[in-house]
Amino acid sequence: MSKVIRGVKNVTKGYSSVQVKVRNATSNDPWGPTGTEMSEISQMTFNNSTDFYEIMDMLDKRLNDKGKNWRHVLKSLKVLDYCLHEGSELVVTWARNNIFIVKTLREFQHIDEDGRDVGQNVRISAKELTSLIQDEERLRKERLDRKSWKSRVTGIEEY
Amino acid sequence: PTTRHVDMSKSESDLAINIRKATNIEETAPKRKHVRSCIVYTWDHKSSQSFWAGMKVQPILADEVQTFKALITIHKVLQEGHPITLREAQANVNWLESLTRGISGDGMRGYGQLIREYIYFLLAKLAFHRQHPEFNGTFEYEEYISLKTINDPNEGYETISDLMTLQDQIDTFQKLVFSHFRSGANNECRISSLVGLVQESYGIYKFITSMLRAMHTTTGEDDALEPLRSRYNAQHYRLVKFYYECSNLRYLTSLITVPKLPQDPPNLLSEDDERPAL
Repeated sequence: MSKVIRGVKNVTKGYSSVQVKVRNATSNDPWGPTGTEMSEISQMTFNNSTDFYEIMDMLDKRLNDKGKNWRHVLKSLKVLDYCLHEGSELVVTWARNNIFIVKTLREFQHIDEDGRDVGQNVRISAKELTSLIQDEERLRKERLDRKSWKSRVTGIEEY
Repeated sequence: PTTRHVDMSKSESDLAINIRKATNIEETAPKRKHVRSCIVYTWDHKSSQSFWAGMKVQPILADEVQTFKALITIHKVLQEGHPITLREAQANVNWLESLTRGISGDGMRGYGQLIREYIYFLLAKLAFHRQHPEFNGTFEYEEYISLKTINDPNEGYETISDLMTLQDQIDTFQKLVFSHFRSGANNECRISSLVGLVQESYGIYKFITSMLRAMHTTTGEDDALEPLRSRYNAQHYRLVKFYYECSNLRYLTSLITVPKLPQDPPNLLSEDDERPAL
């Protein structure tokens, strides 16, 4: 159902194909983002500045979404993590300039209708990503050697 | 270059709503999403002027819970906001101080003393930052690894003393918070004031540890540094106790990782410059 609505929204709001990709990868579906989706998005960060900004602005919007949409936030952290490793150097610069966006998510809170603390995954991801962005040497190394982080960001998981 | 695209016109009115909701009358923690929005605002606009202005038009003195929540919010924005926030806060010191006059005695719901002590601490924090503008709001070690102070031992000594005084004030305040818990009640609002205190005390602790180590190595004046060492040891034991008590508060541990210090203080004279783990 949500997939249909998202499809309609994508058309009526006039989202570009790049924006649609990011929206789908960071949706409220209880699975994903898939490795393929993240890989495609990170490749698109090399395209041109329009595509780059469309990706980052959409991720930014998702990262600042409300508690109810905690999956948007969590998945955007994953996509950002992936792009920091495989995407263009501009992603690294963007993340450094805007680190407060990720940093302030380390205390993200949301309890769902069943009383589950779904904010915890966001807090953990934000903590890991913050220390990665702050550790230039480690990020350099991981951008060269991509195996060490793959287990963290690839694969289809259920949330 | 690679900056965010922010809708400047909309965010001003959003900020007012966020401040109002963060400081509402409900006896809970200030909602993180609203506090976060205030923090993000200062980064986007590289200014905290609207935050202060927005805070001042709130009727926060009308109710002690509102006053207390406002102080928690201000503390968080000072810690995590754009660095300019600490500078701009200096112009609001008198207003902050005036808030003590709004509450008499212990208050209906027992926040009176807590409010006075919180303001006292925030004023001390702002005084510290006025003296030492090189520190950020949470005293994060990583970002200031090459602090110049250790090059001048006298200045370093001063700075460490001042940091220790601030650490003592955190300790006094946290003890007061614990002593004001009410049995059978939800203490979330009181507990949420501990979040910023845990983070700040740990930042200060890590800083003092590495600065004292560096001073011992560079000056070799172990005797001259003895007063700082004994004060450091005493603070270490108090912090261990503080973190232990925090680790029993489920609301707190679900939100942040409470640091675990070794039972005994690390040896500052030792050559190995192993940092306390994060």
